[in-house]
Amino acid sequence: MWLPILGLIIGVILGLLTEIKVSEEYANYLSIAVLAGLDTLFGGIRAHLQNIYDEKVFVSGFFFNIILAASLAFLGVHLGVDLYLAAVFAFGVRLFQNIAVIRRIILTNLTIKREKTEKN
Amino acid sequence: MLSFTLITIVIGFMLAIQFRTIKEPEVRDTRDTWQIREDILKENELQSKLLREVRSYEEKIAQYETELNQGKEAILRNTLEELRVEAGLTEVKGYGIILRIEPVIEDLLIGNTVSNVSPDLLKRLVNELNMYEALHISIDNQRVINTTVIRDINGETKIDGHSINKLPFEIKVIADNSHSAEKLYNRMQVSKSADEFFVDNLRVKVIQPEGQITIPAYDDSIRIRDMKPVDPEKGGNS
Repeated sequence: MWLPILGLIIGVILGLLTEIKVSEEYANYLSIAVLAGLDTLFGGIRAHLQNIYDEKVFVSGFFFNIILAASLAFLGVHLGVDLYLAAVFAFGVRLFQNIAVIRRIILTNLTIKREKTEKN
Repeated sequence: MLSFTLITIVIGFMLAIQFRTIKEPEVRDTRDTWQIREDILKENELQSKLLREVRSYEEKIAQYETELNQGKEAILRNTLEELRVEAGLTEVKGYGIILRIEPVIEDLLIGNTVSNVSPDLLKRLVNELNMYEALHISIDNQRVINTTVIRDINGETKIDGHSINKLPFEIKVIADNSHSAEKLYNRMQVSKSADEFFVDNLRVKVIQPEGQITIPAYDDSIRIRDMKPVDPEKGGNS
């Protein structure tokens, strides 16, 4: 359970320590990729909590989502339509849904635990 | 769980980079031409304001100086100084010429000795110099002023008590400026006095020195016997 959080912290520290900077025109792609990554992450957590977690689906979903989002943004730039907004919208909605589901699961888990302790 | 961790690392990495990209944009000069013009205008205004200040301070300094100079005492002092210069009581420096009076060498060979300059010749020369706008004259380093007398006393030519008994000697003349010094030089080259000196076996050599020459001050006190100041009570209403 703590390993992914540790991984996140390690990743953030690594990113801050390395002097990598993305030029401004690619910042959009990176932001959409981050959003896709977060979406996948929370999807993964939700799946884990619902006991339907599949590693293949998770890993493939992570990369596929990122690539799709980035290519959507790329296409949008070349078509003159802000297509990346579609990705932002989709990922945003899914992020909220996932977080809501996670919250509910945690809440039910907590109530179940409390009932158990009260019974005991 | 391992892949999950790896992906969280990647996400963390991306987050950090995104954070850096957004949080630390390069500080660039994004002003366009008109904004730069406006800034230049502002700086120019500041500059002119500073220049105005400098000028006002300089004016103040000049004012103080003129106030100092234009006090009554200073005016009197200036006038006195001017009069002293005019009377010949100060040393004078300026552009001019030097006349060297020397015996004619060829005549010395024959055996004629010349030991004296006739005062008439000197007077004539001084008059001629004055006619040609000479300002200050000294003969053998004796300043010639308005009251100077050139006369023969017991066979010796004396200028205000200074006897000229050796040859050669120099007559220094100062003119108004370098231009009039040049004019004086040219006139003295063709002067008649030179011929008259030659009759007395003396040669006048006109030298135009480079730069300025110095004429000494009149070293005696000027005695005025037959003059007295006007009674300020009666006169003065000029």
